[in-house]
Amino acid sequence: MTQTGEMVFHPRPGAGPAREWTFPTPERFVLGNGLAVLRVDRPGQKVVAVELVLDSPLAAEPAECEGVATIMARAFTEGTDRMGAEEFAAELERCGATIDSDADHPGVRVALDVPASRLERALGLLADAVRAPAFPAAEVDRLVRQRLDEIVHELASPPRRAALALSGTLFDASMRLSRPRAGSAESVARVDRAAVWDFFTAHVRPQTATLVVVGDFAGVDVTDVLERTIGTWSAQPAEPSRPAPVLADDHARVLIVHRPGSVQTQLLVGRVGPGREDASWPALTIGTYCLGGTLTSRLDRVLREEKGYTYGVRAANQSLQEGSLLAIQGSVETDVTGPAVADLVAVLRTLAAEGLVDGERDAAVQSIVGVAPLKYVTPRAVCDSLADMAAERQPDGYLPQLYLRLAEVATKDAAEAVSAGFDPEHLVVVLVGDADKIREPLEALELGPVTVVE
Amino acid sequence: MAAVAAVTLQERTDGLMAGPATASLGFTATTHTLGNGLRVVLSEDHVDPVAAVCLWYDVGSRHERPGRTGLAHLFEHLMFQGSANVHGNEHFEFVQSAGGSLNGTTSFERTNYFETMPAHQLELALWLEADRMGGLLQALTEESLENQRDVVKNERRQRYDNVPYGTAWERLVAMAYPEGHPYHHMPIGSMADLDATSLADCQEFFRTYYAPNNAVLAIVGDVDPEQTLAWVEKYFGTIPAHDGKPVPADGVLPPVLGAELREVVRENVPSPALMAAYRMPADGTRGADAAEIALTILGEGESSRLNTRLVRHDELALYAGVGLMRQAGTASVGMLDVKASGSGAVAAIDSALAEEFARFAAEGPTPAELERAQAQLERAYLDTMATVGSRADELCRYATLFGDANLAFTALERLLEITAEEVRAVAAERLVPENRAVLVYEPTDDADENEEQVA
Repeated sequence: MTQTGEMVFHPRPGAGPAREWTFPTPERFVLGNGLAVLRVDRPGQKVVAVELVLDSPLAAEPAECEGVATIMARAFTEGTDRMGAEEFAAELERCGATIDSDADHPGVRVALDVPASRLERALGLLADAVRAPAFPAAEVDRLVRQRLDEIVHELASPPRRAALALSGTLFDASMRLSRPRAGSAESVARVDRAAVWDFFTAHVRPQTATLVVVGDFAGVDVTDVLERTIGTWSAQPAEPSRPAPVLADDHARVLIVHRPGSVQTQLLVGRVGPGREDASWPALTIGTYCLGGTLTSRLDRVLREEKGYTYGVRAANQSLQEGSLLAIQGSVETDVTGPAVADLVAVLRTLAAEGLVDGERDAAVQSIVGVAPLKYVTPRAVCDSLADMAAERQPDGYLPQLYLRLAEVATKDAAEAVSAGFDPEHLVVVLVGDADKIREPLEALELGPVTVVE
Repeated sequence: MAAVAAVTLQERTDGLMAGPATASLGFTATTHTLGNGLRVVLSEDHVDPVAAVCLWYDVGSRHERPGRTGLAHLFEHLMFQGSANVHGNEHFEFVQSAGGSLNGTTSFERTNYFETMPAHQLELALWLEADRMGGLLQALTEESLENQRDVVKNERRQRYDNVPYGTAWERLVAMAYPEGHPYHHMPIGSMADLDATSLADCQEFFRTYYAPNNAVLAIVGDVDPEQTLAWVEKYFGTIPAHDGKPVPADGVLPPVLGAELREVVRENVPSPALMAAYRMPADGTRGADAAEIALTILGEGESSRLNTRLVRHDELALYAGVGLMRQAGTASVGMLDVKASGSGAVAAIDSALAEEFARFAAEGPTPAELERAQAQLERAYLDTMATVGSRADELCRYATLFGDANLAFTALERLLEITAEEVRAVAAERLVPENRAVLVYEPTDDADENEEQVA
């Protein structure tokens, strides 16, 4: 091996002058059919992102056939008044486009990505899918059978199993949130074409929906194109839905989902907290990042970088239609499950007792606010965030305002918000793992009653 | 999750993304070589105030020696544990506190490190990468090795060992590339080898492979090229070159396996599955592009042949898809993944697959299928080129593996030149029973029963 000379090290450089950036405020207008449109221009981006946000909340599903919103979302692309299911799929792919539909608690979302050169053709297909879906009985039945098969796979996935168990125990049984988003095997089995059709006619209409379009629209009259395509969709008007208050029981307890032979324990610790409407939301967001936003946050500093118990543990505050779900998740080696949970709780107690330091707060602000220009480069990223806010019924200027407020959060407020949110006296600890090995160590921690389910 | 190190099955996706461009993107790149051999690729894009730094080291799991599998990836973790002027986790802290994002990944053929920064913080990212390229050993300790060894073992448990079908690709790769072949093992490595790795192994690995003349640095975004090159020269220019890198073991293989290999795994999985690996042409050839199109038509998307037949018509499968794991130094691998439906049996799946593959090899794609595949691959390519970070990664890839960064900008054109006959021919040669390694999963109810047998 040949070596030539010694490396010259230099002091760490500072930053140059920053170019100003703000989250784009969308242009809002309404099509002739009552559909609200949010438009953002992203010059130079070749793929356009479109998202249709429907006011079809899961809470509106009939109790006996929960999962119908998911089946409807998938059946949108199973044929229209103009084409059969396979022809529709082929046409969409011929545009180089994809349509992904998903049913979540606030409503169904239909996302379209397409190269700008084929935007109008693909928008025509999206329009047909919601304007005149065929919902063929045979395809609906097939989607139901497929969904039933999927449930078996979901139950075998430790993170999915943990999420289902937490929702089931945390939220009041009267709440749709307490049950699987895409329905249980029992309820899905009852979904048929008639159920899909009823849900569609009751909850899908342009007047209560929002369409987000983001991309490079140079040389395109966007309003015209939209009027010619999705503007031809019509339905009887109806009032917007009203979210129900969140009812949850977060007295401290431990739920172990027995998964024999697991080499790791999947960990999901949660409770409900304040939502976007609360003045503490920006502080909670910064504080939660300090707790578990990255591998240099409080949790991973101990659990990963000091102890090596895990590949990574993350904390998040996820807004619900009202309030939020506060959660810590990750997976730890089976044999150290007890010590890892003990360390997790110790991290929370230390944070509550000692607060945060300014350096942590500054890093969190920089990481969340400073990273925004990177995060929002692609039309899809901008579109997703705007669609989230539309689904949550936030005003158009919400995100730019939020970034300004995040930048001003004080260290003390961040510490108080995260300590109050992740209070060890109110945590529901869900563990998916080998109960024979982890039950006793968990009981010894005295985090509340320990229950084991199969 | 923003954690260090995604091991390699992402290369499957990378492979599918590597397409071409009808819409001219208008990007260009220039390449410069420092005195110590570091190749530097610059590409300007001033639309957003962001800049990406991407560094590819020409070392991956194929360079590992027997008994030390997983070392390249474990080493990637150690690159985030501090260097001469960067203490502990400061690499992460500095970048994230500057509003940047970062990570590193290890595959069979390379290890990459990347930071996407607000453009005014570019110099910091260059300083950080230079500090660890030249000064890692000054900070590497037994303690950080012990810690990251545990982290990586937990990464392995989380991604492979605690997941249904989690070790399927590892088993298939081991079948497609024979014992002793440099690509026989996955970058994650084995638990035993991870345990056996010493600090001296890590130090030697760094001294052998982490050299400026074994790396490509790409910088893409809202940058001033002259200023950027001056910074690169300042921070990287004095790092000594070294040339002790051994020639990697020969990856040459016959184009087909010769006879079907088949293993049956009885495990506690949710449904039966039939997964398979086919040897395909190496990355960088027209054959690989033809294979990409063939596999897209067969198994990518709702209107693909396998989805239409197995999922829609016969309802034998819950999922049926294929992808291409491109490798430049040996045969690529076509990966087939079929998860049975509640009513699907493996034997019925197998015969439906055989029919579809044989028909495709005989008839080739229809014009409509070719058009759809080209349109899908174009969108995938445009998505890849949409961010400065993935553009920088592509530039590094073409510079490292094929010697010319600018090939990244013409990849779509090459893909669109492929004819229907080339697509048919690659299917007829490669997508045949004599060229596949098959892994069949049969569910058991008892989790403790974990027996593997060769059929």
